[in-house]
Amino acid sequence: MINALRWLVFAIAALAMNFPILVTLVTSFKSARELSTNPGLWVQAPTLDNYLAVFQVSDRLNIFLYLLNSITVALIGTTLAVALALPAAYAIARGRLGERTLLPFIVNLRAVPLIIFAIPLYMMFQWLALLDTRLGLGLILSIVNLPLALVILVNAIRDLPGELDEAALMDGANRRQILLRVIAPVCRPAIVTSLIFGFITAWNEFLFGLMLTTSKAVPITVGASFFFAASGGGVQWGVASAVMVVGALPPVLLGLIMYRQISGSMTAGAVKG
Amino acid sequence: MNTQGAHSSEFRLLAMPLVLFLLVFLGFPAIVNLIYSVSDVSFETLRQPRITGLSNFAAVWNDRAFWQASWFSFRFGALTALLECALGLVLAIFLSPLIERRSWLMAILMLPLMVAPALVGLMYRLVLHEFAGPVPYYLWAWFGTSVSFLGPTSAFWTLIVVETLQWTPFALLLFYMAYRAIPTEIVEASAMDGARRWHLLWYVELPLMAPTIVVALLIRFIDGFRVFDNVYVLTGSGPGGSTASLSIYIYEAFFKQGAIGKAVAASVILFAVSFAVLYGLNFIASRRKGALR
Repeated sequence: MINALRWLVFAIAALAMNFPILVTLVTSFKSARELSTNPGLWVQAPTLDNYLAVFQVSDRLNIFLYLLNSITVALIGTTLAVALALPAAYAIARGRLGERTLLPFIVNLRAVPLIIFAIPLYMMFQWLALLDTRLGLGLILSIVNLPLALVILVNAIRDLPGELDEAALMDGANRRQILLRVIAPVCRPAIVTSLIFGFITAWNEFLFGLMLTTSKAVPITVGASFFFAASGGGVQWGVASAVMVVGALPPVLLGLIMYRQISGSMTAGAVKG
Repeated sequence: MNTQGAHSSEFRLLAMPLVLFLLVFLGFPAIVNLIYSVSDVSFETLRQPRITGLSNFAAVWNDRAFWQASWFSFRFGALTALLECALGLVLAIFLSPLIERRSWLMAILMLPLMVAPALVGLMYRLVLHEFAGPVPYYLWAWFGTSVSFLGPTSAFWTLIVVETLQWTPFALLLFYMAYRAIPTEIVEASAMDGARRWHLLWYVELPLMAPTIVVALLIRFIDGFRVFDNVYVLTGSGPGGSTASLSIYIYEAFFKQGAIGKAVAASVILFAVSFAVLYGLNFIASRRKGALR
């Protein structure tokens, strides 16, 4: 009896929380004509026309470019964050360097409204000609990813037995070699987790994409909103829905495949942060 | 560890790239922020700011929109954090027997966390649209009336619901993990003492989960306070600036009004307050940890 109630509550919660995703998915398969008479939650005559329209490149809209931009900036932002965080995490965990300065500062970055850096970064990027470039956006996204990557990696290295380092030191290895040959291989799960988590975060970022790009480096989160800019006859909701499905799919798939690791690191980041 | 001294220079070298990176991409902007905040500057005089003192801060201080945005951010952060954590806690405990045996249920509940808040905001433009949206459609069909969800009177509460529905899964996940981590011996021992289910929950389980609850409230408040993406795409600053968060206020001061000095001064204020609060919290947390030892 109580179990039936649990299922009911689950169904309601799942429906409510996923409602916008569900509606968008359904709408993306409706023709414009059907949508005008049937905004409900079912499709009478499913069609793929909206998706075909989305992948139609025009001089105003180019979804391939937005997707390519998102992939590139997310990869830069993720790998750079991990590449910077891993050696620093090792120094913090083993050398006890910056445990009270660097670590709390970067962890606090997770909580600061990032808009406070946005304006000077915008000007700096103008001087460096990094505005509207994938490299520029990727660099900033690595800052967004740094806090969680660092926390995950510091925790992972702290969990390793110190004898691992001692043994390698005896063999005459230096710290850099130990990091690359001993620590990094053992920490592979933590590294993979921070890469995946970083990729999802970077892909979903909007504020910096909006501020630092205008046309050449626009990521999909910003590009999707271009499809809402009415082109004469108001918003084409079917096409706009298809764009959102395409833009949301990569992180959702990644998240579903890896959700065990992600849920674990979310908790770690929250509790230690 | 006694290797500290001998190897500290090696460790310093390993941490160096990160420190340099932060100095360039955060340190330099912070200095630019500080200089511009006390200067008379426009897009034409970007490279030659004229130091004028605290007039930018005075302009922000006297700007009603700044206080309105601060109040919006605070209320938005506090309300969404409370709602998300309350809902998340109830769901986590009540659904835990189901999820324990079928972890894919949690994957379904976590789905909204994977979607960009900006896209979720755009999705709600469809969901709530008066002609194309299913919510007004069903309201008309079933009740013969509908609400202007993004109009001046309801926009704030619509945004609260949008944010809460997307981020309740985060609280739920945290609380579920904390609930599952409670040692079964404790629960069994209390049950042996004849504690009833409600007493067990109230006097044993919830106190054990209290640290996680505090952390979740804090994280959700912070994220609500600095909200930008979903609010920006749904209502922007809203009618009369009624739904402008501080992030949106700064963004619009810079990009829409070109008021660089004002935007930068507001950034500096936000910067100082955020770091003061965060370091204060760190301090309290470390003191409490010390006391526990």
